[in-house]
Parts: sequence; C-alpha cells; structure tokens
Amino acid sequence: MAQILEFPKSAVTRAGNVIAEPLRSLWPTHSVDDYGRDPHLIAALGPLARLRWDVSVGGTHHLPTRGGALLVCNARQWALSNLWVSWALSEAAGRPVRFVGRPDVAPLGAMMRRIGGLLDDPKEVEGALRNHQLVLVCAEPTSHPRHAGAVPHLLVGAAVVAGAPVFPVASMSSSLGRAARAEVGPQVRPRRKRRGPLAEVELAEQTQHHLQRILDGFGGMQSGVAPIDWLAEG
Amino acid sequence: MGGELGSLVAAQLEAEPWVGSLVGIDVDPPRRRLRMAEFHLLQPSQRERIVDVVTKFNPHVVINISVWEPDARAPLDHARTFTADATTAIIGAAAECPALESMVVRSGLEVYGRGRGSLTRPTEDSPLRPTSEYGHMLANIERTAREVGRRVGISVGKLRLAPVLGKHVPSPLGRILRQPVVPFSALADAPFAVIEDGDAARAFVRAAAHRLDEPVNIVAPGAITALQAILRGKRIPLPLFGPEWWVAARLSHVLGAPIPDHVVELMHRGRLGDGNKARELLGFTPRLTTPEVVDHLFAWESVVRVGEVREVA
Repeated sequence: MAQILEFPKSAVTRAGNVIAEPLRSLWPTHSVDDYGRDPHLIAALGPLARLRWDVSVGGTHHLPTRGGALLVCNARQWALSNLWVSWALSEAAGRPVRFVGRPDVAPLGAMMRRIGGLLDDPKEVEGALRNHQLVLVCAEPTSHPRHAGAVPHLLVGAAVVAGAPVFPVASMSSSLGRAARAEVGPQVRPRRKRRGPLAEVELAEQTQHHLQRILDGFGGMQSGVAPIDWLAEG
Repeated sequence: MGGELGSLVAAQLEAEPWVGSLVGIDVDPPRRRLRMAEFHLLQPSQRERIVDVVTKFNPHVVINISVWEPDARAPLDHARTFTADATTAIIGAAAECPALESMVVRSGLEVYGRGRGSLTRPTEDSPLRPTSEYGHMLANIERTAREVGRRVGISVGKLRLAPVLGKHVPSPLGRILRQPVVPFSALADAPFAVIEDGDAARAFVRAAAHRLDEPVNIVAPGAITALQAILRGKRIPLPLFGPEWWVAARLSHVLGAPIPDHVVELMHRGRLGDGNKARELLGFTPRLTTPEVVDHLFAWESVVRVGEVREVA
C-alpha cells in the first residue's frame, strides 16, 4: 500500500529560523528602495567612509526639498568624488542622492547599486530625474584638484528633457588627508532658450564655468599661514 | 479566463458598468463563479473554433492574457507552443471583428532584458532586448499585437507586468521562494519588484476601460532582494556563486520547483521597472507594495484543507 511521505516542514522551518534569525536581527529585510539603494548598508559603511573623508558640506539650501535635480560635481582622478560627495550630500540634505557611474559587472556593479549607483546612461539618469530623485554626475576627471573638467552634455541633456534643474557642486579632497569639502552652488539657468540639442551643450558649458568659479573661490586644501608669511607680517 | 489571473479579470469586468456582455476562452474552466460571462473550453491549437467563437461574438475590446510562463503551468517547449498558438488564434481572430476598437495584451518586464548596460529601472521607452526565452515570447506577442493594431486601425495596450504572485497563481519564482531551502546569488543579490494578481487584474480592467494604446509597466512599488525575501519567509538561504547554479537548478527541478532562465536572470541581474506611467495614464496604483506581496506569498497556506462535508438536510 502506498504511503505518503510528508516533508519535515516544521523541522526545516525551525532550522531556517535558527539560521535566519541572527541575519534578520542584523539586517532589516525591507531596506532596498525602488532603485536598489540600501540606506542601511550606507549607514553601516558610514563609519568606514568617515575614516577616509571628513567632509564639510555647504550650500545645501540651494537644493530642492522635493522634486528631481541633477547635481554636477568636478572630479579629481582616483578621488572617488561621486561616492563621497553623494553620501555627504545625502546626509546633509536628508534625501538620497544617487551617483552615476556604476559598472554593470557583478560583484562590483551590484555592490555599487546597493550604495546608490546608477549606470552612466542618459536614459537611466532621465528616468531617475522623472522620478524626483537627486542624481549626481561627475565632470571629466582632471589631475588638478582645482580644475573643473568638461561636463558630459549627454547627461545634462537628460535633465533638460526631464525638466529638472541643474546645480554645480564643487568638491575638493586631499589625496592623503581626510579633509574634504563639497559646496553646492545656485541653480545654473540657461542664458538662452534653445529648442534643440544646443540647450544641453550650452548648459553643460555653463555648469563647468560655474564649477570653476566656485573652485576658484575655495582656498587650497592646506590653508593657513606658512612660516615664511610671519616674516612678511613683521 | 480559466487561469487565476483570467478569472480575476473576468470577475472584475463583470462589475464594470461599461461591460455589456463577456466571452472567455481558456484551457481550464474558470476558478470563480461568474454570473454574466460565457465561457468556452478550448485548446490554443483549436484555432478554427477560437476564430469562430471570437468573430461570432464580435467584441469591442479583446484582452489577451493567454501567456504560458515557462515552468509555471507547462515546461518551456510546451509553454512556447501554447503561447504562440494562442497569440496567433486570439489576436488573429480579433482582427477579423468589425466592431473591435481596442486590444489589451499581457506582456512582462522580461521584454527589456537584462543584458550588460540594461537600465536599472526601465521605462516604457527603453529598447526591447529580451535575454530570456520568456522575454522573447512576450516580445513576440507585443510585435504581433502591434502589427495587427496597425493593419486594422485599433488601439493596442501592452501591459508589461512584473512577476505576478498570488495565492493560486502558478509562478516559478513564487514556488522557488516558498521552498524550505532557497538559492540566491551571493555576488549580486539583485533587487526585483513583483505585482500581486489582484492588482494585475485591476490594471487590465483599467487598460480596457481607457482603451490604452501604448505599453505600460505594471509594478508594485518598492523592491526586494532574494536574500531579503528568503529571510522574510524564514527559509534557509543557500548562497551560490556561479557554476553551482546549474546543479541547484537541476536539483530544484527534481524537487518540483524548476528554475527557468528568466528567474535565474532575475536573481542575478534583478528586475525592476518604472511604473509611473500606469498612474499617469490609467490612474492605477497597486494596493500592495513588493515587500507586502512577498509577505503574502509566505503567508499563504501550502495546502488548503477542506473540512469534512456533512449533509444538513
């Protein structure tokens, strides 16, 4: 006579509980947002990031309290500006700031998606802006910390199409020290109204000029009085 | 009309004031008591009969939900054949109806594909580059419907559904997540979104009422990763890194929960979609968020035991 073998469901559930319970208490199970960003992971990595960067943020009052906006920051080579600027601005503005420039290869791409990364694709940026997100893109990296590189006009075009404002964010960090600074400038408004692609090209150039102006206004990373200056003081 | 989603759509259509009469075709009988609808039990291969039923009825609106997700109700080969047959028969028959004004077809987020560089959260304007068998099947349905719409001059709405989960909906993703031990991609653990069957049915009714004429993503708000879903369901997570997926998929198949390629893709590369257009065009907002749908998935009984039936008179 046939016999029905029942799966030991309760035993497996108990085992599942034993394994899952510590993980559940460590990590919330509802922490990713619509784009896969995980604020809990970012909060967990925060102390690590603060070991490397001590960021002072200014000008966040320029940022909209709701609605999408494209933030454009300058970048020094290998400075990971998009990462620390987006995290610092998220904390200061109280809204998630997503950064553009994650690769699409696991595990790095997957990890960067969890910490707020988006693909370097105008469609991706446009989609996020239409969904009222703050998106940070970087200008071309330069070797000099106080030079703003060319701003990618295709990504600025995404903001033009989505009708989102563009803000310059000047960033400066030291290769060796912890000190870093991010300053949000006022919204960049196009000088002329254009109907075609010139709108984004001109807006990108204007944004680069704005960035450069803010960077010129910054002191160097090591500001203070050099010993030789004491002589001049008399 | 015989599947869970079809039955739900039929039941909701019956309650709509603009619906005069309703005819449904499926391989299974309806799962709900329908008061008004007329039902025809037909196989997708019975094209002549389907054409006969549809043309005699001469509808104003046709809703095509006859999509067989691989490894949901049928294995891949059968699913592909059934879906192709049903698409040809129903959409072809609809084109012969002089009164037809609008057609709504079921599609899925799988049509966008998850190749390298594919958008994290595709909108309806994103290019269709399916990378799974199911994605190709759905893209084929959309293509056929679009061509018929253009030739006949009717509106064609395409609802690109996130993976549909529901109490009685056969879903390979739902089945895997409800297993006691659930594999997940340790290197990616990508986020995905789903939709509850009741919400999906409401979207079909809205699309038909609005005579939708473009593609729309139907996605529950929020997202979840496979590991998070496993932990919510108190299952045992099994981290996999690469080649052992093949072994896990075969083992899972033997245990009764096959893992088709589009589900493997979901676990590795994620599956999100931008659902804003549905709100703008149809005024449709899902009632349940993705984490809530997943919670419901684990709350549903595996077997509903019906108590002893006693005669009372």
